[in-house]
Amino acid sequence: MYLDPVLMIALPLFAAFLIPPLARISKGLVKYVPVLIIGFNLYETVMLLPHSMVKPVIVIIAAWAPPLGINLTIGPLGNVLALIISLVGFVVAVYNIRFVEEEPNEKYHMLFLLLTAGATGMVLTGDIFNLFVFLEITSISSYALTAFLRDRDGAEAAFKYLLIGSMASTFILLGIALIYATTGTLNMAQIAVRLKDVDPRIAIMALILLITGFGIEAEMFPLNGWAPDAYSQAPTPIGAAFGGIVVKAGVYALARLIYTIFSFQGIFHFILIAGIITLLIAEMSAIRQKQLKRMLAFSSIGQMGLVLIALGLATTRGVEGGLFQMFNHAMIKPLLFLSAGYLVFYSGSKNIEDMDGMGRVKPLLSFFFAFGAFAILGLPPLSGFWSKFIILSETISHGFIAVATLALFGSIIEAVYYLRVVGRLYFKAPHDGAKVQYVPKSALVAMSILALITLVTGLYPDLVMTYLKPAAAELIDKSIYIKAVLSAGL
Amino acid sequence: MIYYVAAISLILIGIYAVLVKKNMIKIVLGLTLIDSGVNILLVSLGYVKDKTAPIFSNPTLTAGDMVDPVPQALVLTAIVIGVAVTALALSIVIRIYDHHKTLNINKIRELKW
Repeated sequence: MYLDPVLMIALPLFAAFLIPPLARISKGLVKYVPVLIIGFNLYETVMLLPHSMVKPVIVIIAAWAPPLGINLTIGPLGNVLALIISLVGFVVAVYNIRFVEEEPNEKYHMLFLLLTAGATGMVLTGDIFNLFVFLEITSISSYALTAFLRDRDGAEAAFKYLLIGSMASTFILLGIALIYATTGTLNMAQIAVRLKDVDPRIAIMALILLITGFGIEAEMFPLNGWAPDAYSQAPTPIGAAFGGIVVKAGVYALARLIYTIFSFQGIFHFILIAGIITLLIAEMSAIRQKQLKRMLAFSSIGQMGLVLIALGLATTRGVEGGLFQMFNHAMIKPLLFLSAGYLVFYSGSKNIEDMDGMGRVKPLLSFFFAFGAFAILGLPPLSGFWSKFIILSETISHGFIAVATLALFGSIIEAVYYLRVVGRLYFKAPHDGAKVQYVPKSALVAMSILALITLVTGLYPDLVMTYLKPAAAELIDKSIYIKAVLSAGL
Repeated sequence: MIYYVAAISLILIGIYAVLVKKNMIKIVLGLTLIDSGVNILLVSLGYVKDKTAPIFSNPTLTAGDMVDPVPQALVLTAIVIGVAVTALALSIVIRIYDHHKTLNINKIRELKW
């Protein structure tokens, strides 16, 4: 039994603005609000899953049926992504309970809720302007959270991110203006129908503007200059949230754009090439990094490159692999970030060199990091293996041997730099003066949830694949989506 | 036509400021210029010659006498978003100035690939 899906967006927004008055009454209570609210979202998305798999759930807001009013379209794809976002949000919120204590923490929790609300809205909405508004909610709270620690580099990273991000939003708004001027509608399903009659030159112009805009959020090369700085200078849980929430919403917007709204044939090759370049540049930059969190940030960009390759293949199996890769990345990268956060905290340094011997000092924490590293490399029993396997075999069977070779080459580089860190953790003598303290239970719970999901989906990939198959079908066959939305008002 | 020219030149001036200027305040100003340009472009897309504002202020008005209200609603939203981004950008600039004592972006280069 599920409640009105609008609550998944309305409740976090409402709670976010309720937090400052609540903080006046009781400081201690505030940090449990995100856990509660995002927990509710998680419940909703799980309960919606059986319904949306059969037929997209269309939520009509204020009795204005689509295409006139704004509607929420919860198809398989949107629902799976909302589930990923809520799951990562929930885990990070649990981790936050003990992590953020020194700063004015009610602001932190408020911004975090806004970020989750915006990203959930992005994947659920059926209106392109609404997508833009939710994107802005997500990115404005990301800018603020990047600068949250009030240090030199945090402000600089936030300013860079803000500049690139607001250029992105300008491009998106221009693209939306072009689309509205030529099709006279903002409903994504109706745009998809009417775009056939539009002058292709104008449509391509709008597509370029929108891809540039959403490509920035999805970390597509060469638009990803913000990512390494923002990931590494933001508080650790926020780095995890960028990888698991913000980027996923950006990739969703990109996928919806190229598959449902536009679907020009030529664009898929462009996405494929952008993906392989993104992957290679990111992996080569990652291997040069001296700081642990920057390395993870570049690795995150590389993983998104792999997702773009899968999306660029434009085959059902390829898209399934890409979505599976997104799911895995959303589980594993936060695990790596969350464990790296405490590794950095206990060793007292951000540099990889200073992680020596942490495997002996903090065995459990290092185990989580090593587990995440093996999973993301795609060691067979863990979940990363399956998604990489599907994507690569699909790339080869469609004749893109060069792309597959380059992607494998990227994976080898990835293995080198992850195993280098894991090796340092276990096979070097610890430095003196490493602080030995207990890791808070809430953080351990958060990391165990992620590790458990990674292990289970690795052993039983079909558990996830059954839900990803309809999601991929929704992207490949856009008529399902269009028909569901446009018949909702009848 | 004149509206489109004005809007696009505002956007171009803004992009020029963001790309070329070294002072962070000027860069933020460039961002707001781009915002205004896009907003003017949106409003002029919905403009119909000799038509009035989409408000039923007078009982003789019909929907045919009015300009398209949708772009105006979009622009209202976009203006609010623009204000939020500008405020946040300026506060981050203040923070950077506190740390570095300069507004010149060439002198603030600690994060690199």
